[in-house]
Amino acid sequence: MAQSTIGIATRSRTPTRLGIVTAISFLVMVILPFVVGEFQVSLLSKLLLFGALAISLDLVWGFTGILSFAHGVFFTLGGYAMAYYLKLNLSAENNTYGGSLPDFMVWNGLTELPWFIAPLKYFPIAAIAMVLIPAAFAFLIGWFIFRSKVSGVYITIITLAISSALTTFFISQQAYTGGTNGITDVSKLSIFGINIPPNGLYWIILLFTTFVLVGSWWLTQSNFGLILRSIKENENRISYLGYDVASFKIFIWTLSAGIAGIAGGLFVPLNRFISPVYLAVAFGTQVVIWVAIGGRGTLIGPLVAAILLGQIQNSAERVTQDWQLVVGVLLLIVVLFIPDGLVGTVQKLFMKKQQPASTKQPVIDHN
Amino acid sequence: MYAHLFSFFYLAQEAVAEETTQAFSLVALSNQLVNGIGIVGILLLTGLGLAITFGVMRIINLAHGEFIMLGAYVTFWMQSTFGMDLLLTIPFSFLITGAIGALVELTIIRRLYGRPLETLLATWGLSIVLQGVIKLIFTAQLKYVKSPPYISGNLTLLKDAQGSPAIAISYYRLFIIFVAIALLVLTGYLLNKTDLGRQVRAVTQNRDMARCLGVNTSLIDMLTFAYGCGLAGVAGTVISSLKSVSPPMGQDYLVDAWMTVVTGGVDKLIGVLAGAFLIGESSSGIAYLLNDPTARVIVLAAVIILIRYKPEGLFTIQKRG
Repeated sequence: MAQSTIGIATRSRTPTRLGIVTAISFLVMVILPFVVGEFQVSLLSKLLLFGALAISLDLVWGFTGILSFAHGVFFTLGGYAMAYYLKLNLSAENNTYGGSLPDFMVWNGLTELPWFIAPLKYFPIAAIAMVLIPAAFAFLIGWFIFRSKVSGVYITIITLAISSALTTFFISQQAYTGGTNGITDVSKLSIFGINIPPNGLYWIILLFTTFVLVGSWWLTQSNFGLILRSIKENENRISYLGYDVASFKIFIWTLSAGIAGIAGGLFVPLNRFISPVYLAVAFGTQVVIWVAIGGRGTLIGPLVAAILLGQIQNSAERVTQDWQLVVGVLLLIVVLFIPDGLVGTVQKLFMKKQQPASTKQPVIDHN
Repeated sequence: MYAHLFSFFYLAQEAVAEETTQAFSLVALSNQLVNGIGIVGILLLTGLGLAITFGVMRIINLAHGEFIMLGAYVTFWMQSTFGMDLLLTIPFSFLITGAIGALVELTIIRRLYGRPLETLLATWGLSIVLQGVIKLIFTAQLKYVKSPPYISGNLTLLKDAQGSPAIAISYYRLFIIFVAIALLVLTGYLLNKTDLGRQVRAVTQNRDMARCLGVNTSLIDMLTFAYGCGLAGVAGTVISSLKSVSPPMGQDYLVDAWMTVVTGGVDKLIGVLAGAFLIGESSSGIAYLLNDPTARVIVLAAVIILIRYKPEGLFTIQKRG
């Protein structure tokens, strides 16, 4: 049982501390809406979702070594599922043409709801579609590319092509997707007739992100996570040991797309629209940048980076219009000089401090 | 409120749709295919630089589109300040983008050899930075470059009954393919027939051995990367007058250039030509039968399938692992 001993060996004091820190931050986040204004609540909700999206990318990139620019695509697919639900549940007087058909479909000459969109009118179906469509799409891609000799860099190029192709496709199918504008002016979120206020949405999102973080942490600490990490370190060796590498990759890839899909679905009632902007490579890049800056394989890092960068961007955009330039420079610096990312570097510093202190002189105590 | 605006688009779209849904005609298809040559030219031009940086050096350069953009801006800048002709700016755009490429190799790429994913990330960061810097200098406004007045008009290959051209291609498109093929031949010559090219190939085949034999490998690395970037700059100059020049313009060409290179395979330069021809002609053919976006989606899907089964490209010789 070599595996379980390794599993135990990595369980140091750090996770307990991390758990405490996470719990405290969670509580702080829970009461935050009572302290900060409406705008900040909505911004934080958005950033938490971006954080969850970044964590989902970290699962495949930081742990399994698959760099994907297509996570924006999974996010947006979930988003569209939810957007159809919200759009179809607009009350007739709020709809531009009074009827039940969404405005963009009327403009594009559709007279009735397409059969593949109609079921999304019901919340349970929309909620399932929000996870299932991105996950199924990811499964197909994963099944197709991971069972081949295609190596890391080519997979990344494939994800670029997927993102580019889908953007073109969604823009071209105006009658069904709303074209470049996407699906706009959606209704507020109500589940089974209960309206969800902004704070409620915030708490749902906070719960979801916490769940994703804790779940991902649990998954990566398990033996399963160990295999994932070994795939990243040495794919050949782990396959010689008898593990079916492709299945592991497909599983984590699909799971990660499902998480991204839910994040996208929750994003729509907040953002009030979804459009091909989120499908495009630029948004996919944004996700990659959060993970790179936060620290690959740290899980908490991408979340922190998404929230921090989002907050900085929010204040910086009042001063400068060249925020993207700053992000680009940051990315370059991180890749060249801080490959572990912000959180990864901090963790390493702590470990370095801890180890000599515990092995050599336990006398020094900073309490 | 916006409904009127959109209904206008809707009508306009319908008009276009009527125009394109004519009966299938061989003449129109051949016209489309002849004009596909123009796309082939652009793909070849934009892919050629990548064939050097990726094909020869194995560098995943996602900032390739930005070097194209830089070339276009060099031309815009020289044209607007010195009133220079587009053709005359080609050498300058080659030298300036090449020099920037050399600088990038020295400061960024060099630190990341042998780590393809990190290189990919770094060049992506670089692409954002270059766009940002150009936006700071030239603003985000669209710029326009004048094409040379003596390369204008269309070459008519076939006239219809009324005497108006049925199959025609603009001279500028012919000019693009001419430049592209000239550069391809020149690159092939440099790589295969000159001393420098021999050193480049020696470094890519066996770096340590090349160094032992007295080749200055780091200089060769820098020169090769700079040459690839210079080619991208020339592509930018030639393309600049087709559409407007703007900071994000390179992104449009990046994915296509990659697809071209990956399709053709990078072992032989001729693979780029084959890739450009396949992608260019099939997209214009499918675009005629269906429509532009569908053609793009189909071609991209085909390339993805191709990468899955033949990641080394269509036109490569089987080598022993």
